[in-house]
Amino acid sequence: AGTFAGSAALPRRAAAADAKYTLKLHHFLGPTSPAQVKMLAPWAKRVEEGSGGAVKIEIYPSMSLGGKPPELIRQVRDGVVDIVWTVNGYTPGLFPRSEVFELPFVHTNDPAATNLAMADLYKQDLAVEYKGIKPLFLHVHAGQAIHMVDTPVHTPDDMAGKKIRIPTRTGAWVLEALGANPVGMPVPELPQALSKKVVDGALIPWEIIPALKLQDLIKDYIEGPNKARLGTTTFQVSMNGDKWASLPKEIQAVFEKESGDDWLKEVGKIWRENDDHGIEIAEKAGGTHIVLTDEQWAKFHEKLEPVVGRWVDEVKGKSIDGKALVEAARAAIAKHTM
Amino acid sequence: MAAAGARSLLDRAFDAIRWVAEAWALVGGLLLVAVVLVNAVSLAGNILLSQPVPGDFEIVEVGVAVAIFAFLPYCQLTDANVTADIFTAGANRFWQSVFVLVASAIALGFSVILLWRMWFGLLDFRTYEEVTTIYQFPLWIAYLPILASLALLVLASLVTLVEAARGRPELSIAVPRGSE
Amino acid sequence: MESELLIGLIGLVALIGLIAIRVPIAYAMMLVGAVGTVVLSGPAILLSQLKTLAYGQFSIYDLSVVPMFVLMGNIATRAGLSRDLFRAANAWLGWMRGGVAMAAIAACAGFGSVCGSSLATASTMGQVALPELRRYRYSPSLATGTVAAGGVLGILIPPSIVLVVYAVIVEANITTMFIAAFVPGLIAVLFFLITIAIYVRLVPDAGPRGDRVSREEIVASSIAVLPVAVIFGLVIGGIYFGFFNPTPAAAIGVFLVAVYGLGRRLVGWRELRSALLDTAKTSGMIYLILLGAELLKIFMSRGGVPQAAAEMMASSGLPPLAIMALLLVALIFLGCLMDSLSMILLVIPFFWPVIAQLDFGLGAEPTKVWFGILALIVVELGLITPPVGMNVFVINAMSRDVPMSQTFRGVMPFFFVELLRVVLLLAFPGITLFLPRLLG
Ligand code: NA
Ligand code: NA
Repeated sequence: AGTFAGSAALPRRAAAADAKYTLKLHHFLGPTSPAQVKMLAPWAKRVEEGSGGAVKIEIYPSMSLGGKPPELIRQVRDGVVDIVWTVNGYTPGLFPRSEVFELPFVHTNDPAATNLAMADLYKQDLAVEYKGIKPLFLHVHAGQAIHMVDTPVHTPDDMAGKKIRIPTRTGAWVLEALGANPVGMPVPELPQALSKKVVDGALIPWEIIPALKLQDLIKDYIEGPNKARLGTTTFQVSMNGDKWASLPKEIQAVFEKESGDDWLKEVGKIWRENDDHGIEIAEKAGGTHIVLTDEQWAKFHEKLEPVVGRWVDEVKGKSIDGKALVEAARAAIAKHTM
Repeated sequence: MAAAGARSLLDRAFDAIRWVAEAWALVGGLLLVAVVLVNAVSLAGNILLSQPVPGDFEIVEVGVAVAIFAFLPYCQLTDANVTADIFTAGANRFWQSVFVLVASAIALGFSVILLWRMWFGLLDFRTYEEVTTIYQFPLWIAYLPILASLALLVLASLVTLVEAARGRPELSIAVPRGSE
Repeated sequence: MESELLIGLIGLVALIGLIAIRVPIAYAMMLVGAVGTVVLSGPAILLSQLKTLAYGQFSIYDLSVVPMFVLMGNIATRAGLSRDLFRAANAWLGWMRGGVAMAAIAACAGFGSVCGSSLATASTMGQVALPELRRYRYSPSLATGTVAAGGVLGILIPPSIVLVVYAVIVEANITTMFIAAFVPGLIAVLFFLITIAIYVRLVPDAGPRGDRVSREEIVASSIAVLPVAVIFGLVIGGIYFGFFNPTPAAAIGVFLVAVYGLGRRLVGWRELRSALLDTAKTSGMIYLILLGAELLKIFMSRGGVPQAAAEMMASSGLPPLAIMALLLVALIFLGCLMDSLSMILLVIPFFWPVIAQLDFGLGAEPTKVWFGILALIVVELGLITPPVGMNVFVINAMSRDVPMSQTFRGVMPFFFVELLRVVLLLAFPGITLFLPRLLG
């Protein structure tokens, strides 16, 4: 007989009848994705319970309320939906300041620390680029690691001339600085491209390995010492600004409490666990997990510090003091790193 | 005399719209050919030199979108949009005209609303400047030819509407066509 | 749950009403979607979404192969491929009883391997094969029925535009879908050939023997189709074996077909111009339906319809295979009314969530692939079923002296073997899935 495992993940309109504030949360991944099951749904439940049932959050996965993922940020700004979870990098140019956290050797190895650091910098430095929306929390994944089809990488030179799929705008700069050829392509096409070496590798977190079955395609998995990575990707869960303003103070307080430091640490833990799970699967499948030594990693740092300089120069054009932002971000991350 | 003169002026205006729509569709077609060539060059570069065109991805996305919008006015004028003619195939000229009138009115309403809304989309892209990942190409620039296409679609819908109102549905109805 | 289903029902009735008075399907979807969204959620949401919705839908990377495959088919139509294919097929098969019709099917399959659309395949091959079938005094209903049915191979054999759209909706890998379509496509060709063999045995006058040709002609005509084989091998083989992704593959295909046509001096600026204009018509129409379907989806999602429908099906107590069969039958009936692309865009967003909840013992991804191929076949049947069968209309327009009813009668045997093929693929998912497993 038919099972109906995913039904809990689908929004039910009827169930919302007795809640006072019903909010639609729209995002781009599927209803069974770890992002929904492990992060968005538990967060929605915390808020609902914290509000004593006054708030009901209906989750709409897979862009089911229409549009393409880059449109999410407009949808929440315009009030088409109440809340979105989205990737800042889907709309390059909109979040130039928050981008500091994606740079190599800014985010290092601890997603919880970077989440907390983003919250620290938010009020003073980042808020200006979230006009019309209320970010409930900003977060990152565990960080970009190097996946190579069959090239064990120990030095930056090992990547010279290789075709690597880019994760973000600045990820392309990282690859250029390493002498690799950056290639853009949608994530679903990646397995096929890797299998016949249309690309030689990709900069992505381990967390994606099981979803794309990369363990069957990738031999060499490379990261820095102590899980250090080459930058990361920033995400946001944000509410429409007017909707936020219309909520009574006590409901706002619930959202702020349930999205506070404890939750940011929890989110860091969730993404860390997903990431650990990914590399575990790869290792079980016979992949080589290469952890670079401090000395080797220093070589990468040397090559990649100019990327930070390139970013500082670029954002100068938008009258942003990139240098100060980098310093502030690094200091905040260091403060929160255990 | 005056009426006939005005009428032929309208006909000439309609002919001009048809001509522009066709030329505009051809421009879109050539843009599609350009996208094809970028892909071919990128693939050749990838195979021969291990060096694909870095941003071929976004060239395809923007290029195809602009081309498709350029096709829409021509589609409207050549009745390329799929219809089901189960109940209407045997209808007389009068009813044929009525059906085309209704369809053209919906097309006109749609194109006017889309032109209006996408104009605000352009303003949005100016306020919150969004660019492509590799080339940093501002998306509002892509909206300029797109808005021109939509303006032409408004005119094209007007042409089919007026032709239907004049009882000349055959000027907008062609043989049934499918997507297959 | 009832109120959600009622919303869905009202939407569907309104949609069919508009389609029945000859409102283009794309605009009917837009109108129902827009009005429905406004009724459920007010005008502000829709108006905001329209600022970027159309651009977003038109710039989906995976869909970029659609206009490219359309252009490739349109150039192939003008490049003389069809004539070469038919000549070679006829040299091999023509001498048999019913052989000229068999040659038409084989040539349709060959043309389908470089063309992503049924209608283009039917009309192109019709121009070549119909006069020959008439010359050998084939019965009008077998002649027109064969070409109308053969056209369906244009979409069953990759590349296939409808399959690309399906893949985009359910987030399947286009490459995997193309690989999965290959064996079922070959089975279709085989079944069609057998159908003709049986048909001419039962009605001997319907398909006389053609001429036996010389060995030189067999060799020469076979060599002449080598370019088609090379193009198919590079484009589809390149995709299958993963040498490149679908978008660059489609681009290479356009390029090669154009080179072939230019080389044979059959394609010049005039032909390119008309190929581009036809591409404009077909692509514009496809993308407009896509936009209409997106608006309809927004309305239905806001109304909670897909979830309610999925719940209703899941709680119906029917076994999964029965639900699958029910959905396929619904698609066949809808095929009387709509074209295949509109159907895929209209119903897959509702049917897929239902199927995804069912356990066929295959796993999530294989189920997606398997259902896609089955859905593809049944929506394509709509092309040859009355009252609206686009392929039949097109072929009938080329042979004015044959009544439409005769052509419909001529396609009926093919329709029934297609049903047989659906049952076969339904009973043995392995037929569809073994090649993707092997190459995936
Ligand atoms: Na095909
Ligand atoms: Na039909």
